[in-house]
Amino acid sequence: MSPETNHSHDEHDQGGVPFLPDHFVKEVAVIALVMGILIFLATLMPSPMGLPADPLKTPLGIKPEWYFLSVYQILKYVPKTIGIAWSFLIFPPILIIFPFFYRFYARFKYGRLILHTLVAIGVFLAVFLAALAYLGFE
Amino acid sequence: MSLGVVDFLDERLDVRRISREFAEHKVPDHVNWLYCFGGITFLCFLIQAATGVLLAFYYRPGTDTAYTSVLHIMDDMPYGVVIRSLHAWTANIMIIMVIVHMLRVFFHGAYRPPRELNWVTGVLLFFMTVTFGFSGYLLPMNQLSYWATKVGTEIAGAMPFVGGYLQDFLLAGSKIGDATLTRFYTIHVIILPIVLSMFLAAHFYMIRKQGIADPL
Repeated sequence: MSPETNHSHDEHDQGGVPFLPDHFVKEVAVIALVMGILIFLATLMPSPMGLPADPLKTPLGIKPEWYFLSVYQILKYVPKTIGIAWSFLIFPPILIIFPFFYRFYARFKYGRLILHTLVAIGVFLAVFLAALAYLGFE
Repeated sequence: MSLGVVDFLDERLDVRRISREFAEHKVPDHVNWLYCFGGITFLCFLIQAATGVLLAFYYRPGTDTAYTSVLHIMDDMPYGVVIRSLHAWTANIMIIMVIVHMLRVFFHGAYRPPRELNWVTGVLLFFMTVTFGFSGYLLPMNQLSYWATKVGTEIAGAMPFVGGYLQDFLLAGSKIGDATLTRFYTIHVIILPIVLSMFLAAHFYMIRKQGIADPL
């Protein structure tokens, strides 16, 4: 198989296991496991309510939700406009359109390897920055 | 008798062919446990829909009513604490699952042609999921949600060119108030569920149409 092509549905019908019952049993097992974990978390670690919102009392160490923490931390190191432009105006469009350039970068011997390495580093950096923000580093 | 019902439906809706296709379609041999994160995300979405509807029965948006209505759900409603906590935990787990699913798809190269458009719908679904989380976080109107939203909308307001408009749109005024709560609530329970469901349908349709990608 050439790496340029990615076979579509019809060619798969010869191989593989039938959805029912083989695969379906596994899906039910995963659903049961996830439901179990969620109910475990919700009952043993219920969400706290805390105090009602008070615009006049700023609590100590306010942070955005965890999935914004890496962006929040970047803004401490780079000028705000650049950090925000990168996070919300430049990065999202790149994330959306990069598959359309696959045939271009796949022509290079290490094109995909380089891309995957860069993204792996990016993911590591994002997790690292979020951890710094969570721990309250300036 | 029961066969009569099946025959009735089969003549009109072709249910036998549809259920046979559902039951017998082949799952490729290379599919392993790494492929379950997209499905778990969908499971989370269904849990969010169910618990969200229950919360919406008693939640009242508004600076005077939001906090007390959530307390009412937690203190007086049967299993109120569990339902609210399930909604909050599942929200976080759902975002983690979306990210892990995206990374799996990326490192397996499953975005390659002809599946670019499914990657596009997937990224948009990711942004919608995060917006779901952001809009839902304000609703209990406690200290945590108020100040996290303040930080969040200030970051949005600092965006070049569109920041000012975006912040005005989100806050529906100059600061977080009644209008902000109704706006976030509308986004959270009307706009996002509809738009996300439509993209989800497209996402699933493309998986069935294009099949599961071959490994690299």
